[in-house]
Amino acid sequence: MTALARSPQVTAARTARGADSVAGRTGLLILALAVALAASMVLCITLGPAQISIAEVWSSILARVGIGESALTPLREGIIWQLRMPRVLTAGAVGAGLAICGTIMQAVLRNPLADPYLLGVSSGASFGAVVVIVLGATIALPAAAFGGALVALALTLLLAGSLGRITASRTILAGIAVSAVLGALTSLVIFWSATDDSYREVLGWLLGSLAGATWPTALLAIGAIVLIGAPLLLSARTLDAFAFGESAAAALGIGVDRTRWALLGTTALLTGCLVAVSGSIGFIGLVVPHAVRLLVGSRHRALLPLSALTGAVFLVWADTLARTAFDPRELPVGVVTALLGAPLFALILARLSRAS
Amino acid sequence: MPSLTARSAFAASLIATALVASACSASPAASPTSTAASTATATPASSYPLTIDNCGTSVTFDQAPQRVLAIKSTSIEMMLALGLQDRLIGTAFPDGEYAAQWADAGDGIPLVSDKVPGQEATLELEPDLVYAGWESNVTADGAGDRDVLASLGVNTFVSPAACQEPGYQPERLRFDDVFAEIEQIGAIFDAADRAEALVDDLQQKLDAIDPDARGLTALWFSSGSDTPYVGAGIGAPQMIMDAAGLTNIADDVDATWSSLSWEVVVDADPDVIVLVDSAWGSTQKKIDVLESNPATAALSAVVNHRYLVVPFPAGEAGVRNVEAAQSLVDQLGAIDLP
Repeated sequence: MTALARSPQVTAARTARGADSVAGRTGLLILALAVALAASMVLCITLGPAQISIAEVWSSILARVGIGESALTPLREGIIWQLRMPRVLTAGAVGAGLAICGTIMQAVLRNPLADPYLLGVSSGASFGAVVVIVLGATIALPAAAFGGALVALALTLLLAGSLGRITASRTILAGIAVSAVLGALTSLVIFWSATDDSYREVLGWLLGSLAGATWPTALLAIGAIVLIGAPLLLSARTLDAFAFGESAAAALGIGVDRTRWALLGTTALLTGCLVAVSGSIGFIGLVVPHAVRLLVGSRHRALLPLSALTGAVFLVWADTLARTAFDPRELPVGVVTALLGAPLFALILARLSRAS
Repeated sequence: MPSLTARSAFAASLIATALVASACSASPAASPTSTAASTATATPASSYPLTIDNCGTSVTFDQAPQRVLAIKSTSIEMMLALGLQDRLIGTAFPDGEYAAQWADAGDGIPLVSDKVPGQEATLELEPDLVYAGWESNVTADGAGDRDVLASLGVNTFVSPAACQEPGYQPERLRFDDVFAEIEQIGAIFDAADRAEALVDDLQQKLDAIDPDARGLTALWFSSGSDTPYVGAGIGAPQMIMDAAGLTNIADDVDATWSSLSWEVVVDADPDVIVLVDSAWGSTQKKIDVLESNPATAALSAVVNHRYLVVPFPAGEAGVRNVEAAQSLVDQLGAIDLP
């Protein structure tokens, strides 16, 4: 009797202790990655085709907060404050956002191949962007890309909804259909009206590029992360429930349909903001969640913030490589994320399979 | 060693040209301008069949082409400058209006397509030569694959300055290369005398250019917004800027045109910016791009509006390059620098 009475308490205590240590480890990891992100950003601001020393960069930063005088000419100040800073910040925000969106899509749709672009969002954004590039109104690009993303999302959800209950597989199939149509329309516009010059801009945009980052785009991306991304981080418990399947989620008292709508819609909205800023940068949203999951498990309370930070650090470095590796030329960062990310991912896979 | 292969290939094409075009050409490696300068002797007629090596493709002319489709402004204007407009059955993919001096000559020549026409549309015209400004114009996705067109009796010729193959792409484009194309076209059309006259005229104008002596640096801003596409170190923009006395800030990039990072541009802070004016990318659009980012808006050339303008066709290797260089010098004369 006593044994029976005691054992649940013991188990509960053990679980609590286990949860504590997991939470502690997650907290430490989050802290470590946050420090790594901050350090990466500071370091990457000192890197670039223009030869500006770390000391000069710091003198400029300190001068801005009122300590001493900047050692730089106004133009070189411009390189740091108008080109590198907004770009590094945009990279961090976009990387974090894509990783969050990818994690949520994979959980909600219960599909390991899901990425932020699955609902046609990137095709819609690309269509909007390509139209303005071809029309020569590149200044309006973010607005057009965002508008295209929203239209695509609406089409996908309408199509999925018109088929009956919105299930994971219906949503994915509707996304494929919408993507195909918008992709074809994008190709049509390119084929019909692009000249030599706009081909290059279109290609750069389709591959994903942060070369157009300015303070407004940086603030847009950061704002999207704070306003849309941060609340999504609170959905961890719901996502864990989804991971066990729809009936399990329903049994846990989650309104499956409404929650899925809300999560997909919010995620697509965030993706739309990010794509509007950077074009569709591939790979991060698909693979970063997998890589982090392999390392810390699939509990979303840890997975979501760690994926976000990993995505941010990864894109900050990938973009720094994109703008420095072939100095004075630049690569679209989407080329780097895949070229660099795929082998890294393969390495993680290989090491884990060897370990187990 | 690309320079040797480039020269030998260049020499090989010159041999073909020189053999038929100029009996008094002593050495195939001699500067084409020197052979062209011999106006005293009558220029012999071209003898057919005439075989040339064009960007690595062997092209044989059984007679002077009679029905020519010219793609891109540089090819169209080459034909007009040589007075060969009666051979043009159509033009395609022009980069802008005809230059004023050829507006009359070009009047009435049908514009086949705003862009590169497809294979069938090209064949329907029954041309005996497709004269292309870019190699990509004569591929299966364009007017047709060169070999396929040749098998159907349609010759192709690509502006040699636009050749991409190692050994054929000019190592660093010179006016002599441009003049060599004029002479080669003259040989193909049995119009060597007109080609010589044109080369003489251009050479004189080139010699008369008094390059700006202030040692100014320049950015050749061709297109692009997020990432600028600029004239780099080995193509026509470099050649034109050299002739105008400008130092190209991208002259160390081993390409004809290239993308460049804005950071490099801001770091170099060029004295002047050359804006390429095209149908799809006006100078105003480029100025807007430069002024929209605070970093580039602070460039001294942008702050002081030190812009030079070159029409797009004049910036690609062709008969308007000398005029473009002179125009840059003239525009530079109007710019005061501290």
